[in-house]
Amino acid sequence: MVKIDGNDFPEDLYYHRDHMWVKVEEGKARVGYNDWAQEAAGKLVNLNTRRVGRSLKAGKTLGTVESGKWVGPLKAPVSGEIVELNDEVMKKPSLINEDPYGRGWIAVIGATDLETELKDLVKGSDQEKLKTWLREEKAKHGV
Amino acid sequence: MERWRLIDLGSPEPLVAQTFYEAVAEVLHRGEAPNTLIMLQPGSAYVCLGYHQDLEREIDLDFCRERGLPVIRRSQGGGATYLDGDQVFYQIIAKDSPAVPRDVEGMFERLLAVTVETYRRMGVEAEFKPLNDVVVGVRKISGNGAGMHESASILVGNVILDLDYEMMARVLKVPDEKFRDKMAKSMKDWVSNLRRELGKPPSAEVVKQTYITVFQELLNIELVRQEPTEEEWRIYHEEVEPKHTSSEWLYMEAPPAIRREGRAVKIAGDVKVVEADHKARKLIRVRAEVKGEEILSIQIRGDFFVIPKEAIADLEKMMSGAKLDEEAVSETVKRFYMETGAQTPGLGHQDYTAAVMKIKELI
Repeated sequence: MVKIDGNDFPEDLYYHRDHMWVKVEEGKARVGYNDWAQEAAGKLVNLNTRRVGRSLKAGKTLGTVESGKWVGPLKAPVSGEIVELNDEVMKKPSLINEDPYGRGWIAVIGATDLETELKDLVKGSDQEKLKTWLREEKAKHGV
Repeated sequence: MERWRLIDLGSPEPLVAQTFYEAVAEVLHRGEAPNTLIMLQPGSAYVCLGYHQDLEREIDLDFCRERGLPVIRRSQGGGATYLDGDQVFYQIIAKDSPAVPRDVEGMFERLLAVTVETYRRMGVEAEFKPLNDVVVGVRKISGNGAGMHESASILVGNVILDLDYEMMARVLKVPDEKFRDKMAKSMKDWVSNLRRELGKPPSAEVVKQTYITVFQELLNIELVRQEPTEEEWRIYHEEVEPKHTSSEWLYMEAPPAIRREGRAVKIAGDVKVVEADHKARKLIRVRAEVKGEEILSIQIRGDFFVIPKEAIADLEKMMSGAKLDEEAVSETVKRFYMETGAQTPGLGHQDYTAAVMKIKELI
């Protein structure tokens, strides 16, 4: 497991700039919220998403999360149709805090252009790039 | 020193009061406007729903219609609330400002310092309480929410001159009037306002001016008074207003996390008034005021029998101050049976434990 400044970033995942992770599963993309983002947001109390069957472009809104009194967007890291949503996490969004890469996954997207779009994401195995991106992100957030 | 824009919207209609800043955020995101502080008082009363809340579950719509109270779903989180001209709103919309940290906690701490100091200059010993509260003693005295619009950070909040506790409790949907009474009492216990603290509140204009002065001093910002631009009004009329008045937005389907049985109303900070039913062989209905995971007070009712019938009051007393931890609750219930010798035909200790633990699912 890659740890960057105390947060987990598994090597076998891809990371989108808007804090979503992507796990490639037979042409589909399982997606969730990364460990640093969940920690920065705090305990998540609400999660709402577009419905199964809805098609999204990468970078467009997949849903919204609410923690305390902060509401923030969840962006689709890749384009495609939502084929599955995690019912468990929809009912209990704090699972994202407890286990962001496991039980806290959010959706499975039937990706339409995975090969190309993965190139725009940061690879978990590319630790240096991941570190640089996260530092930029933290600087932007004043952390 | 940074130079920001100050827009004083006066006393606009509720929809402008609650949503105009979204148009400003869009323009700011595009880089076509400077960082902005908006100040206003709502021109008339309305009910404001939290972004993820379920309209029909939270609000007594019949009552609101009867009174002509508009209901607006805000783009920020938190719980439903009644707002009127006795509140001064500040709405901070910023992008890439050294004065506004982009991490939520940092942003609250930095910007709520302005709210705290505003209260202090009016003679109220307010304090910042992480994550996002401004309190006087144990009571909350300012409501605040934060969010983002693309690259723009948003913090909205209020200075409360006076609070109509009865209306606050009246506009919400409740299982029955007793629940409403409990809620109103809880609000009085946990939420304050300037009139209550000072006897006579300062005028809204004084509050506004104080806030503006403190904002500039504490954040090292120079505010320049300007009117909203034509583009901002255009976005408001063509995008923001239609969105917020559409039934799709207002009746937005609530996320599954809040589509639960029972009722929970957030009062202030981590204080909530909740009601949950547990259906065992008989119905057990628990109603409680909780602070975090601590039970402050609890009522246990239902169609069950307890012999002797006074004993249930003992159980309620024993539960006050208890933590919502399965083991601790179970121990307390068992101790109740041992110490009182009470009998509960058809129900066992595990049923009462399960009923009390239902509260935890709602908080």
